[in-house]
Amino acid sequence: MVDAARQPLIEVKTYTEVEKVEGFVGNFKVTLREKSKYVRADRCNGCGDCAKVCPIEIPNYFEMNLAPRKAIYIPMSQSVPLIYTVDLDACIHCYKCVEACGALQAIDFSMQDKIVEEDIGAIVVATGFSHFDPTPMEEYGYNHYPNVITAMEMERLNNSAGPTSGRLIRPSDGKVPQKLAFINCVGSRDKRFNPGCSNFCCMYSIKNAVLLKQMNRNVDISIYYIDIRTPSKGYEEFYDRARSMGIHFIQGRPAMITEDPQTHNLFIQSEDIALGRVVEHEYDMVMLNQAAIPQPDQEKMSSVLNVARSPGGWYMEYHPKLRPLDSPTDGIFFAGACQGPKDIPASVAQGSAAASRASRVLHSDSWQIEPTVAVVWSDRCVSAQGKPCGICERSCPYGAIDYQQGRAAEVITAKCHGCGGCVAECPHDAITQLHYTDAQILAQIRTLLAEEPHKKILAFRCHWCSYGGADLAGTSHFEYTSNERGLKVMCSARMDTDFIYEAYRLGAGAVLYSGCHPQDCHYITGQVVGAKRAKRLETIFERMKMTPGRFRVEWISAAEGDKYARVLNEMQATLDAMPEEELLAEIDCLRPEMEKRLGRLGTIPGVGPALDYTQGIIEAMLSTEVAVK
Amino acid sequence: MNNTTFAEEVKALPGGESLEMCYSCGTCTSQCMVQLKQEPEYNPRRLLRLVMMEMRAEAYANPTTWLCSACDLCYPACPQQIHISGVITAVKQIASQNGIKTPLATSVVNQQTCVACGLCVEVCPYDAISLQVVKVPYRGAVSVAVVESSLCMACGLCGAACRSNSIGIPEEYSDLDVVEDIWSWLQPEGTSL
Repeated sequence: MVDAARQPLIEVKTYTEVEKVEGFVGNFKVTLREKSKYVRADRCNGCGDCAKVCPIEIPNYFEMNLAPRKAIYIPMSQSVPLIYTVDLDACIHCYKCVEACGALQAIDFSMQDKIVEEDIGAIVVATGFSHFDPTPMEEYGYNHYPNVITAMEMERLNNSAGPTSGRLIRPSDGKVPQKLAFINCVGSRDKRFNPGCSNFCCMYSIKNAVLLKQMNRNVDISIYYIDIRTPSKGYEEFYDRARSMGIHFIQGRPAMITEDPQTHNLFIQSEDIALGRVVEHEYDMVMLNQAAIPQPDQEKMSSVLNVARSPGGWYMEYHPKLRPLDSPTDGIFFAGACQGPKDIPASVAQGSAAASRASRVLHSDSWQIEPTVAVVWSDRCVSAQGKPCGICERSCPYGAIDYQQGRAAEVITAKCHGCGGCVAECPHDAITQLHYTDAQILAQIRTLLAEEPHKKILAFRCHWCSYGGADLAGTSHFEYTSNERGLKVMCSARMDTDFIYEAYRLGAGAVLYSGCHPQDCHYITGQVVGAKRAKRLETIFERMKMTPGRFRVEWISAAEGDKYARVLNEMQATLDAMPEEELLAEIDCLRPEMEKRLGRLGTIPGVGPALDYTQGIIEAMLSTEVAVK
Repeated sequence: MNNTTFAEEVKALPGGESLEMCYSCGTCTSQCMVQLKQEPEYNPRRLLRLVMMEMRAEAYANPTTWLCSACDLCYPACPQQIHISGVITAVKQIASQNGIKTPLATSVVNQQTCVACGLCVEVCPYDAISLQVVKVPYRGAVSVAVVESSLCMACGLCGAACRSNSIGIPEEYSDLDVVEDIWSWLQPEGTSL
């Protein structure tokens, strides 16, 4: 950080909070709150006279509360800028520090937080991770037995700049421990707390063990583990070195730690898997390698940045394999553990890569986006006529729609990713999606259902998942019904109710409404919009007394080719189970209902001519076929 | 049960579903009171492994199958949230269906004196006792308590609840044995009953 602060082109703003992020790639407007330090940066020279006279002592969070600090303090020795800060929550306003500062007059209690707005081209989010607090795991007695400490506390005790100047001592009596244990996977790989693996703790505990062993050969160290994971270059060799130094590795997750109340020594009870026997060992001190968890304010930041979070709470990348450091919003990138637990080499690699991705934005005059963006017909938008609406704005996962009552909604093209959710949601058909217009899709539906529609199954698939699933079903040679007719849109959010009604009006036998699983959606929450609509349709068709199974909603990932084939075969079985006359009668019976719901269809720009044109092609096609026969 | 594997059979039974989630960390074994106080060979982790690896005969012969009292000390400690006693019960059920008898001394009913009051049925924590009409010598077809030995865990609650002393665990756990034990503990050292 000190190095970065010295670079003329890097401005480091510490003690500053991001309050608001507006705009889009290349044109972000970021509102920052520069918190007041009550010490003027231009006058403070970091001499520390103020801290010497401060009468307040409170726990120092940087030292994991193992050492005290004053109410006027420097957070850590490498702080940038190296000036003092007043902790107003602890300060008693005795103003001894002001006296000590004297003629420098650096301390100024009248300072206020400053709100700054900055024009930003690209944003790299590198907010890191936090640690799991093992207090809820009562079996390990953290906070209850003084000699059970966390790995971060051990890190401070073992640090030459730390509270004990690098001497590892027992908190209970200050003695140097001779027999130590590390416990891995505390709160991680544990479905009660964090199901995921924290990635770096295996190496981290080995590193700490080796460091301690190097300082004192006689110290006895055991590492309790479930699996040791050393997948990167040189890691396994390091593990070998640790074993050759005489560090004991005990496979088996400890079930319980108990304490001798006189000596405060600890007993770890665990199964030694290699021995197949339950063993109990006595230790002077136990270190818990706790899980890495997302920062506590990661949820708040995700709404400020408008980026989604993965199930574990980490920021969600655009694509786990192909775009691991892009956020779903263009111009915002992730670096390091905020996207998932990472060790130092991986974080550095991701940080460098994110910086180069960001510089691509800064050095471009224009920015390429997907061509399938949404466009508003301002004359059809009811907001222009002064009526309240805003449905499009609510359905957009990217905040790309600028809606204000009184004027037509506008799509911020640079922010639009082309899911088509707003297009399908708009009750006035005032939005269209380029390359997936209503006219184009309706023409496709008409063509697919030109012949014997009651025998056909019309399958709506989203581009990213269920289309991939259908593709996989084909390439894997899974057999499924040949009566399926597939139609692709970008997202299940684009599957307009009109399309489904039109399919049934034309006499489709069955309709499949398929898309990604909610956590896989490529448009953050596009699937949620689609799923809500599908639920609504299901209720409507149930009320119409449509045979169950003729309308089906399924979430199929690109890896679920077998599911795609199975679902279609089940739908075919539903149709086969119905006598043909009965099916035709049901279609005829429901047609007026469908027509009633499709009243506005003809007024959508472009639909009329497109359907006339399609009708011509269909007729020509059918007649040639007859001629060939 | 011709084509299904042992693991599939266990998973099909209620309680056995999460069998394959086990990653062999050993927390259950080191928590277990049966292992600690009674049977060093007792090891739930290893039983789950035997099931996964299709080692049917070994699983049936393993003391873990028969000794689990379903106290569920291990359940809240399991990081994979496997209901271990549920899996063990499933294994036991399959073993019983295949005609394997429990090696434990289970509850026995004295059909001559049982009056079918149903107290034992009520107190049994394992639902091992039911009232059935059985042909009893000298009494004819009468309703008496019947113990399903594969479910009985030999806890002795039924014996303690019975008013007519008609049910209980035989051998060293009869009422008289327990009373003698208590009596001997209460005496000054060196004397006997």
